[in-house]
Amino acid sequence: MPEYLLFRLFGPMAAWGGVAVGEYRPSESHPSRSAIFGLVAAALGIRREDAADLKELQESYRMAVLVNTPGSLIRDYHTTQVPSEITKKRAWPFATRREEVSIHRDDLNTILSTREYFCDALYTVCIRAATENPPYLLSELAEALNSPVFTLYLGRRSCPVALPLQPQVVRGDNLRAAMEAAVFQNIGMMSPIAGKERGMLFWEDEENTGFAVESSQTVQRRDVALNRRRWQFTERKEHGALVQVPEGVR
Amino acid sequence: MAEFIQLHMLASYPPSNLNRDDLGRPKTAMMGGACRLRVSSQSLKRAWRTSEIFKEAFGDHLGIRTKEMGWNIYLAMKGGKALSDVLEERDAAPVRTGVAEKKAVEWGQAIAAQFGKLKSVKDSNEENTEKKKKESLCVEQMVHFSPDEIAAIDALLSRLVESGKDPSDEDLALLREENSAVDIAMFGRMLASSPSFNCEAAVQVAHAITVHRVAVEDDYFTAVDDLNRGIEDVGAAHVGQAEFAAGLYYAYLCINRDLLVENLGGKSELADKTIAALTEAAAKVGPKGKQNSFASRAYASYILAERGSQQPRSLAVAFLKPVGGEDYLTTAVNVLEKTRENMEKTYGACARDTMTMNAAAGVGTLKEILTFVSGDHA
Repeated sequence: MPEYLLFRLFGPMAAWGGVAVGEYRPSESHPSRSAIFGLVAAALGIRREDAADLKELQESYRMAVLVNTPGSLIRDYHTTQVPSEITKKRAWPFATRREEVSIHRDDLNTILSTREYFCDALYTVCIRAATENPPYLLSELAEALNSPVFTLYLGRRSCPVALPLQPQVVRGDNLRAAMEAAVFQNIGMMSPIAGKERGMLFWEDEENTGFAVESSQTVQRRDVALNRRRWQFTERKEHGALVQVPEGVR
Repeated sequence: MAEFIQLHMLASYPPSNLNRDDLGRPKTAMMGGACRLRVSSQSLKRAWRTSEIFKEAFGDHLGIRTKEMGWNIYLAMKGGKALSDVLEERDAAPVRTGVAEKKAVEWGQAIAAQFGKLKSVKDSNEENTEKKKKESLCVEQMVHFSPDEIAAIDALLSRLVESGKDPSDEDLALLREENSAVDIAMFGRMLASSPSFNCEAAVQVAHAITVHRVAVEDDYFTAVDDLNRGIEDVGAAHVGQAEFAAGLYYAYLCINRDLLVENLGGKSELADKTIAALTEAAAKVGPKGKQNSFASRAYASYILAERGSQQPRSLAVAFLKPVGGEDYLTTAVNVLEKTRENMEKTYGACARDTMTMNAAAGVGTLKEILTFVSGDHA
């Protein structure tokens, strides 16, 4: 029976960056592949520039995400003061932000962006090995999540996690069996968010999830990080369906 | 595994508009399905990073700001003195051989130009050549020099004197790379065009969100024209609307001490000083937005600090159910502490040590918090 690693993600705000080219920085409704493996890599202490390790990590596992609570979308109007290009050329890099913004007012420009966040969203993440010899045992990933090397966050650094992830390794024939074997504790305070009976499940591959699915959708998602330096991503197929959430992961 | 320092703060702001959206309205967020006021993470960080507290706390670490570094370099080279001795006007003995006038001016300008645009000296008939020379060695804007940069310049001067050669572009570029300003160690830097300048932030700051439900209010205001005697018309000269709200905010910071020490090149003492300064700024400094209209400055009323290598988590869940009743602050403190306790019961230990300060109840001091967060306790 295959092993699965389950953990949950909750924070007052989360942002799962989609394709963004200009000042509009949208968020997808649920974590991207790059976000999840970025989070796991942060826990393990793999750095952004360790391209080979990151590649191996994300190629060695498959993931699924259950959206327990979708939350609500907010748009954040964001301004950043920056020195004009000319000023930058002659004085860059500034040693401190204070120095950077204390130049003459006329030399300061403002960059605008609109950033999307999801408030009140709760997710359960499911990871399994996709190769014979993955670089880490699932239990090692769980251990790293419990005492991470780098700070974990929900898509953006300003979105800290607000619950212990409670990583747990369980056995099951499929996703549903794995979720049925898992138990997530909820503190009473979580009652406005947790406990929903149905949720959207998103998975990769053509695998049998074990869930009774009336209808499912398949989309191409461009969230597999290829090269961070060049900011390249590739596509994958992601399937989604509304499912009955097993009791332990509600 | 790393050492995390987590700060949970409650700060009460009177009617204010600290951080605004594109309509000039205070920013909001939904939490637990209820509308809350929000001050963005970026807004908080800007307020702290540009605060006086940082400047003062790092008086000896953050280096100096000057337009006259080139002039000082020139003086150091001419007299063969150490740059720090010249900067601090110490009457110390020369540390190397002096450099000829012309070279000293040339090199001083070359180095100063790395840090800012050199002043253009007008070709006036003025006879005061010494003043002109000084001018030619100064840059147009104040530049900040970190202690490492000053040391790097000094090291470069020694190399130049020894070899007698002009500084190469690489020599000059190196001056900047050695900059280890705490500011960037804390909050990171991301430059797609120059990845070698990138630095992973060691400090995580959450958006501050009110612990209670908030309705943003409208202030309809008019301004009268003092010279309007009411003869022709008696209306207002200006009619406007300003939105505002008051709130008790929950703010959360997580400092990765190991990463901070690494970003600071292994200087753990400097890291501790940094952490203390950041904590103090977070406790005392808020965004400056609309201060002239609202004077809403506030200190944190309550701080809970935690240390440990356990997975960090904010305690925002405590306020998923909006706080209500007559006394928001006491209720919020109680709910926060209860949530922390329950979390430990349910999930196991979430930190190794804690320390609290409650200004409303007069329990604990900021000084104790600062001592607690700084220092290697691991």
